[in-house]
Amino acid sequence: MGQTGMYVVTAIDGVAFGLLLFVVAAGLMLIFGVMGILNLAHGTLYLAGAYLAYLLTNGNLWGFGLALAAGVALGTAGGAALSAVLRPLTGRDHLDQALVTLGVAFLAADGFTTVFDAAPLPVTAPRPLDGSIDVAGHGYPVYRLTFIVVAAAIGAGLHLVIRRSTAGVLLRATVSDPPMAAATGINAGRVRTAAMAGGGVLAVTAGVLGAPLLGPAPGVDTTVLVLSLIVVVLGGAGSTGGTLAAALLVGQVQTVGVLLAPAAAPFALFSALLIVLVVRGRTGDVPAVRAA
Amino acid sequence: MTTTTVTPVNDAPTAPYSPASRRSVHVAVAAVILTAVALPGVVDAYTISLATTALVLAVLAMSTQLLVGVAGLPAFGQVAYFGVGAYTAALLAQGGTTTGPFHLAAAAVTGAIAAAVTAPLALRTRATGFLMVTFAIQSLAATAAARWTRVTGGDEGLHTSAVTLWAGAAPLTNAGHVYLYVLACVLALGTVVALLLRSRLGLVLRGCADHEPRMAALGHRVGAELTTGYVAAGALAGAGGALLVAVNRYVSPADMGFDVAAVALLAAAIGAGTMTGAVAGAFAVVAARDWLGGTTGGHGPALLGLLFLTVAYGRPHLTPLTRWARSALASKGKT
Repeated sequence: MGQTGMYVVTAIDGVAFGLLLFVVAAGLMLIFGVMGILNLAHGTLYLAGAYLAYLLTNGNLWGFGLALAAGVALGTAGGAALSAVLRPLTGRDHLDQALVTLGVAFLAADGFTTVFDAAPLPVTAPRPLDGSIDVAGHGYPVYRLTFIVVAAAIGAGLHLVIRRSTAGVLLRATVSDPPMAAATGINAGRVRTAAMAGGGVLAVTAGVLGAPLLGPAPGVDTTVLVLSLIVVVLGGAGSTGGTLAAALLVGQVQTVGVLLAPAAAPFALFSALLIVLVVRGRTGDVPAVRAA
Repeated sequence: MTTTTVTPVNDAPTAPYSPASRRSVHVAVAAVILTAVALPGVVDAYTISLATTALVLAVLAMSTQLLVGVAGLPAFGQVAYFGVGAYTAALLAQGGTTTGPFHLAAAAVTGAIAAAVTAPLALRTRATGFLMVTFAIQSLAATAAARWTRVTGGDEGLHTSAVTLWAGAAPLTNAGHVYLYVLACVLALGTVVALLLRSRLGLVLRGCADHEPRMAALGHRVGAELTTGYVAAGALAGAGGALLVAVNRYVSPADMGFDVAAVALLAAAIGAGTMTGAVAGAFAVVAARDWLGGTTGGHGPALLGLLFLTVAYGRPHLTPLTRWARSALASKGKT
């Protein structure tokens, strides 16, 4: 019983981690889908959110709310700023866009270590959610369960916005046929900035919410970037549903997989990627945010 | 659906040169090589160690350039094959084989094999998709190196003894000697790359960068040609990995990490499509990150970040610059 309980608890951990990756990866997918850019500074936005949580929360629920509000503002500003620095490169080679986002990531990483030092910083969950409850005979942090609910709500909200709202229609129209969208009077530049801002909000919010799970430390930016990239590739760079499934899979491999077979876990991820890429066949620049 | 992407125009040295301009280029190259050989007698030990680091990075940059600048594929994963080569050399050294040139050859072979295995994955995609998949290859290779503790020593890495020039020779422990050994290897590898670029394969790769569908329509087996180019780039990166072990006598997953991959891409981008440019780019990167970075109290990453932004915005101006340098050399040769 104890053994099964441990696997259940780890599997729930995997769901929480998977949903964290989903929120980040959804932002990455949004930016990739609308602008055709692999935003290599996306992990940096997560890390900025995590540092924000460290600065403002300290176990305080009000502080946590403040950090969330600041995170939304920072994500919007950060995404819009990225959109602005990328604008002069419109129509240029994808290499230039990769270089710009890499440059931003390096500058920010240097800034973070200068301000916060190179040591990992602990972030405690807000006090009312700091306890644990009994799950399959094991104590389980309430915060992680709350996180699962909140992340699921974010995912559902995102899906509704893309599929049902006017903003979603404009977004999908711009993705599938930019010249036609422009001809019907859609301001493509504004849609792009909005998508970048949306992607930024998702990454920074994930950082604030996820800080008690995956806290701020140098290198977390690349870890998050890598894992969310794998999620986007596995998920088919297209649908929110596919991204969700891929994120949950990666979450399970990273937790239950590591518990079951520590040495094989990275290879499992690699094999999954391999199978998906081989089965899917040749793709070019696949725009995302198509029918879910 | 697929969108057509604008592939970069290659302004690489395909244009015919007059014998005079070719001679002046040769004179310039000879001058650079002579300076490089004389370097250990002129500068201090720290500068020599930086130059050695730059030479190793130059091989990785050339490998990246073969895909980025020549074949028009934004490759982020060459550092994975670099790592495969480095671990090959380190494991050989731990097994008692210390001959450097043998390490180089073996690492090139394992790098090529690793590239051949992963080429079908990467070459299913183009443009940003290619960037994503090669990024995934890089990160998974680094993770595998960190987790496969039994073989790679995990995050602790592998320490090795110094390489020798041939079996039974004295180990290369003097920094100046290691530098000269690496320089000789880089010159040999550079010659191979120069020949490759002038070969039919080099031309086909350039053609694919300019207009792949047309190359296919002309009857080229584009998939096979690109795979060959990818494997050649993997072999080159693998050889670079062996040089890394010869220099550091140590390898760890950090040597195939995100930062190294980003820096290799930067060096290739600085090179504006040319191999000599990629080598110059490697030296520029080491100068910014280690030399200037050291004097600014460890803000090397910030300097690199600024270099990334400068290169991204300035890249259209880099190509005319290399063209200008070339024509300046050519006109000098005529007088």
